Amino acid sequence: MTDLQTEPNERLETKTSTATSIVSMLFRFQSLFGLVAVFIVAVLLSPVRDGANIFVSSDNLFNVVRAVSEIGIIAVGMTFVILIGGIDLSVGAVLGLAAVGSAVLMVNDDFGMWPAILIVLAAGLVFGLLQGIASAVFGIQAFIVTLAGLQIARGIARIWSGGQGVAIAYGDGPGEAPVSFSLLGERTFNGLVPIPAIIFVVIAVLAILFLRTSAFARHVFAIGGNEKAARLSGVPVTRVKVIVFGLCGLLSALAGVIHAGQLNQGGPNDGSGYELDAIAAVVIGGTSLSGGRGSVVGTVAGALLLGVLNNILALRNVDPNVQLLVKGLVIVAAAGLQRLRPAS
Amino acid sequence: MDIAVDDAVAALVEMTGVRKSYGGALACRDIDFTLRAGEVHALLGENGAGKSTLMKILAGEITDHEGMVAIDGTPVRFTSPVDAQHAGIAMIHQELDLVPGLSVAENIFLGREPRTRLGTVDVRRMYRETRELLAATGVALDPRRPVGELRTGEQQLVTIAKALGLDARVLIMDEPSSALSQAEVEQLFVVVEELRKAGTGIVYISHRMEEIGRIADRATVLRNGQVVAEFDARAMTAAQAAEAMVGRSVQTLFHTEGGEPGEIVLEIDDLVVHAGRVRPGRREPNGITLTVRAGEIVGLTGLLGAGRTELLETLFGAGSRGRWSGRILLDGKPIHPRKPRTALKLGMAMVPEDRRIAGLALEHSVHANTVLSIVDRLAVAGVAVRAKETGAVREMVERLKIKLRSIRDAVGTLSGGNQQKVVFGRALLTEPKLLLLDEPTRGVDIGAKAEIYQLLGTAAEQGIAVLLASSELAELVGVCDRVIVLRDGRSVAELDTRQAGEADLLAASMGVAEPGTDSTIAADMVELAESPAGEGTS
Ligand SMILES: Nc1ncnc2c1ncn2[C@@H]1O[C@H](COP(=O)(O)OP(=O)(O)OP(=O)(O)O)[C@@H](O)[C@H]1O
Ligand SMILES: [Mg+2]
Repeated sequence: MTDLQTEPNERLETKTSTATSIVSMLFRFQSLFGLVAVFIVAVLLSPVRDGANIFVSSDNLFNVVRAVSEIGIIAVGMTFVILIGGIDLSVGAVLGLAAVGSAVLMVNDDFGMWPAILIVLAAGLVFGLLQGIASAVFGIQAFIVTLAGLQIARGIARIWSGGQGVAIAYGDGPGEAPVSFSLLGERTFNGLVPIPAIIFVVIAVLAILFLRTSAFARHVFAIGGNEKAARLSGVPVTRVKVIVFGLCGLLSALAGVIHAGQLNQGGPNDGSGYELDAIAAVVIGGTSLSGGRGSVVGTVAGALLLGVLNNILALRNVDPNVQLLVKGLVIVAAAGLQRLRPAS
Repeated sequence: MDIAVDDAVAALVEMTGVRKSYGGALACRDIDFTLRAGEVHALLGENGAGKSTLMKILAGEITDHEGMVAIDGTPVRFTSPVDAQHAGIAMIHQELDLVPGLSVAENIFLGREPRTRLGTVDVRRMYRETRELLAATGVALDPRRPVGELRTGEQQLVTIAKALGLDARVLIMDEPSSALSQAEVEQLFVVVEELRKAGTGIVYISHRMEEIGRIADRATVLRNGQVVAEFDARAMTAAQAAEAMVGRSVQTLFHTEGGEPGEIVLEIDDLVVHAGRVRPGRREPNGITLTVRAGEIVGLTGLLGAGRTELLETLFGAGSRGRWSGRILLDGKPIHPRKPRTALKLGMAMVPEDRRIAGLALEHSVHANTVLSIVDRLAVAGVAVRAKETGAVREMVERLKIKLRSIRDAVGTLSGGNQQKVVFGRALLTEPKLLLLDEPTRGVDIGAKAEIYQLLGTAAEQGIAVLLASSELAELVGVCDRVIVLRDGRSVAELDTRQAGEADLLAASMGVAEPGTDSTIAADMVELAESPAGEGTS
């Protein structure tokens, strides 16, 4: 036998070139870079009035954040659902239901603002929990459960509203909503920062911290990564799933309340198609549709990217049909980038 | 101990200067490897030595390598596995690569389904040929059954049948026997022998040393991506091979002191599970009686489908739902865990059978996988404390000598044996009083095995009760104090390993007094596979 080399514990060479690590760094913040790129393009393409770039005016930028706040809040909830390998198609309908609920409770039923909001949020939470139970306990696929949930929420909203939008008038009399509710459509800090934008940012920050630090979040990732292994490792899979759906329902309802406040009405058809925008934001943000991998930071960036895109297309008066096309292409490009992610 | 290479015969496969790196880490460094027609060439080495990588290059799965591959003396450069298949190369993968939702037959003919004249899939021919292929491996499975329902060992037989169906000239078998029990291995050897006679070149990778001596002609040992030794496999001793693999002599594989067993930790009394929904192929516990004391390692043996895994799953709350009769006592208290979380809280931990399916989230880091069972325990008010987690993971990596670059690497990039250690580490971190192990050394190299046995010994010394299901008889005899023999979901015998040897275990598993010949084994297996599965006698 030939003489053996020694050093039994010698490991494989561990040096990775700095180039590769920079590349993987870039990919980690891929969604942010997409946002930055779209932002720069927007600045360049923005119309200029009186020597000022309209896009970068603080008014416009806050408008972008306000415009994405509803989708953004929903997308935060959606991120959790997608991380466990699920999907929630009911979010837009729940938003509509919550908007109708807020309007009807305050206008028709003379509820105060807080009781109305709390009831609506609780309803969204329960709706989400029930969907979670149907999918996690009874093993029906989330896609089917929430597709049905979408119809059910729309149905309830239509019945409740009599099929029409319920306008919200403000005042102290009967049939009028408390004036404080109209704050949701306003701006604070010298009329600069829209309230919905603040709510969105607060929710996003809380969710980012929660996903980064909580033991619960570890369980969320584990379920998406390998549900069977998670169960055998003692993760309370069913409970986590139900809670995640509940959270998504709650956040959708919150978006609905904001929606009602911004538009001063609650319409049963409000929020149609929002589920797709929310999913798009999540996917652009780098969260894997098969679960187990992703982040809220990415989702927020994804939502803002879509918002900037919408905004600049509107500022340039681009034909709405072309707008759709451009949005579609951006989503595909972002998803394609994800596939390029280096394996590490 | 160089063996003369017969230059007259052009080598079937010749690989020279093969080199492959993963992100800067070299998995193969200038490897030369030859395979002749009609030989069984064993490829040995520790976990992560580069065996699978080298073979994936030969099978056209890895294409960004350096060096040359020649078939029949002609240099080739495969661009895909299909390419390699056309050149007559088939590979049985270490990690079972079957589509769970498809049937056995559909998996075997995936991508090359036989067609009728109308262009539709010729289902009848597919089923017929599937039955023939399965018969060669000695197992009678229904070709229509979805692969996802099969036990790991059965899946392994399906992948073997799938590779046989390709009629390859070069057959690469990457740990084909790791989930098989002795009887199935015997049948596998019959198949290998036939192929060898027919002139097929076979690469055989295994961590079971006794197999190499029996089946291989030549053995090549890899360490850290390099060839470090070549042996005439028939003359090689296990100690020699082990030394070449690890680079130092492996003194004792088994840890044999065995202290005084303590109190009874687990007591099972005539346990019968009547599954609410009968799942085909499952052998629910149907009369199990056994005890495990603190500090004792008790083995579970039996043929494929004897119900070892089902018993462990039942104990761990991961089995079939349904009625029970009989009793399970843990520390003298009756328990009835319905989910793993409860079982863990009661002080049990399990290393499940198939790490890829039930053990790990492969895309996630070693860190995340290792601490998963204790994240809530380490958390303060629901907030995970990273430093505490990292400390726990590092300690485990150290204790189990897990080979990795960083604990933040995806666990899927570790070699098979090191992945297994991660699952093991997760179980140990829960500090269990009863450890349930289902094939814990499947695919683990000899050095790591020795370490795991050492760990088991230490765990037992600390008073942990261990119930160990294994299909490796040498392991059971070497590690366990007692071995319980299961047949058809029933505990039929209990052997004391101070007196009983491997042959006794095999004989008891098959229900014959004397260790049987190959033909009786095959007959017994067919009988077993054909008896109605999952049927519980009341
Ligand atoms: N996809 C991958 N990405 C990164 N590194 C990898 C990948 N696959 C393998 N490696 C590394 O390459 C080395 C060789 O791995 P390989 O799977 O060939 O080992 P092996 O000899 O087959 O081990 P085992 O006996 O455990 O199967 C290991 O260090 C492993 O971590
Ligand atoms: Mg391997």
